[in-house]
Amino acid sequence: MMSSTNNIGLEEILSSLNQLFEGVSTEKVDPRQYKIITPPEKTIPVLEFLKEKGYSHLSILTCIDWIAEKKFELVYILFNWGTGVTFVVSTYVNRDNPIFYTVKHIWPTAEYYERDVHEFFGVKFEGNENCEKPLILELWNDLPPLRKDFDPLEYSKKHYPDREYQKDAIHEARIIRGDVRGEIDG
Amino acid sequence: MAVAARVAGVLLTAFFFGLTFEGIGRKVTARIQKRYGPPWYQNFIDVLKTLTKHGWTHGWIFDFGVVMALGGVIATLTFVPLGNFVAFPGLDNFFVIVYLFTVGALGMAMGMVGTGNPWASIGVARALTLMLGYEVPYLIVITSLLYNFKTSNISTIVEIQSVNGWNIFRFPIGALVAFICLQGMLGKEPFEAPIAPAEIASGPMVELSAKYMGLLMLMNTFMEFVEISIFVDLFLGGGNYFEFLLKYLTVWIFAIMISAVLPRFRIEQAVYFYWTVPLLLAFIQVFLVVAGM
Amino acid sequence: MSNRGNVKIDERTVWEKIADQLRSRSMWMLHYCTGCGAVELPPSMTSRFDLERFGIGPMATPRQADIFLITGYLSVKTLRRVIYTYEKMPDPKYVIGFGSCTINGGIYYDSYATINRLDYYIPVDLYIAGCMPRPEAIFEAFTKLMEMIRKGEANGWKRYKENYEWYKQNQLRSLGEVIIHDEFHE
Repeated sequence: MMSSTNNIGLEEILSSLNQLFEGVSTEKVDPRQYKIITPPEKTIPVLEFLKEKGYSHLSILTCIDWIAEKKFELVYILFNWGTGVTFVVSTYVNRDNPIFYTVKHIWPTAEYYERDVHEFFGVKFEGNENCEKPLILELWNDLPPLRKDFDPLEYSKKHYPDREYQKDAIHEARIIRGDVRGEIDG
Repeated sequence: MAVAARVAGVLLTAFFFGLTFEGIGRKVTARIQKRYGPPWYQNFIDVLKTLTKHGWTHGWIFDFGVVMALGGVIATLTFVPLGNFVAFPGLDNFFVIVYLFTVGALGMAMGMVGTGNPWASIGVARALTLMLGYEVPYLIVITSLLYNFKTSNISTIVEIQSVNGWNIFRFPIGALVAFICLQGMLGKEPFEAPIAPAEIASGPMVELSAKYMGLLMLMNTFMEFVEISIFVDLFLGGGNYFEFLLKYLTVWIFAIMISAVLPRFRIEQAVYFYWTVPLLLAFIQVFLVVAGM
Repeated sequence: MSNRGNVKIDERTVWEKIADQLRSRSMWMLHYCTGCGAVELPPSMTSRFDLERFGIGPMATPRQADIFLITGYLSVKTLRRVIYTYEKMPDPKYVIGFGSCTINGGIYYDSYATINRLDYYIPVDLYIAGCMPRPEAIFEAFTKLMEMIRKGEANGWKRYKENYEWYKQNQLRSLGEVIIHDEFHE
């Protein structure tokens, strides 16, 4: 359970975030979860500030592809082991030329998250020299696979041949199911 | 001819009863774990099956090591008295057996390191480290026993026991130490670190395929037979052939039951254990023997 | 696939018939689990169902193993390791594919990272339908495989040798390269 002092600490952090960093908006998702949307140039100072305040655990760094807005949303989830409060710090980068800055100097583990994001979304992180090394996919030669404009079905059909059936079992199953339903409905 | 028949008798006993008792051991473990367990002849099928498969060699050092391991252990086995059934009467000296026993162990270490697999090297290193652990208290106890009887001939000790009563009652501390060391020699839990299937992928056996695996399984069975036989002869009074097998089975099932319920020591924990409690007890035994109590 | 060798494949000498009796009663399975089917194996091996009754037990390395269980979906990355492992196993070796993922991709049919059809890359002696098959189905499969070995029908390992080029070509088509390159192996 959160004690009252921690609540005050949380409010202090939220208010000082708004005072110190211009253009930062905060949103309460849950009593223990807050979302902070930052402009790209403020993200790393905000992360450093939050780490100092006890949000020292980088749970994950991941990415969301907003294809209609032509943006990649980078999401840093920070966790405070003392209070159990989570901060979701997010920022938007341009989808056509996605470049951001590394947080490897703040959290060394971020190196692997950044490699992961680079591999699956194609976001480059300046300052992380291993960023472009392959991490999970081996010998990948297509678009980064978690981008919305990548078609996994087409890729799968092209690379991994499917079983060829003599009869269309799915169609037959539909007929059978339709018959059964027909009887019940009728 | 009589010698050849006796040697064949010892080897066939070790082959047939060794594998049968291993099968019974698997059954006992299964029952402890509330399972039905494999049939008693499962180990025969396992060994014969491995001999039918098509495996790989890893160079001549590997081949030679496997043959040396099996040959060395078979040579050791022929000197071990099964109660009053002795292949080479008068030659069943404890030191002969210990001396020959290292041939098999060295052959195994050489062959397994010859595979070039790092797990095998780790397994062999652990096996040798563990050996360092249990040999010290074991040899101290056995030496005190030999000192007491003023002989290193195992048959003589067996005969003396048939008059004086079993050594396990005369030297209970020594028997306890020897049994703890036996558990390590058999490679049963809690001293299973050299094999450790989930940790180092069965250690020395990691690269063994097909008939090499079968030969090593046989070698392991014979090795267990030698180790338990010596314990039965020295502490449980040997007896005639059938008494001997009964005592053998008792000791084996007791070891199996202990191993079925215990987890595994890390290698340094095992050595630390051997060099504290059993070593201390071994010295107490030596003191009692020397003091003539 | 060429059918040239099919006559030769079924031929067995008397010794091989005896050996097959032994092989069917002592099957060691490789401890290699690729998907969710791995969860079904502990109950099969432990006191509820007890696979050891049939002489089936887990083995730690491919060198000692007889049967290879592909327990569920297979990613391309894993497939490389599976091919390595399969080729390391001594003949005769048997492969069982678990669940619909190995048959036709299952619910991962459109994934960019998982293959759709296992028998395209390595020969499969037996498939178990289901998602995932329960231990009862696994038992059914094992008894069936034992029967097949006794009759000499489980000869996937011979098919792999005869049609090696075909299998290699399929592997290269989907994987690009079977050899494993990653920073932990270099």
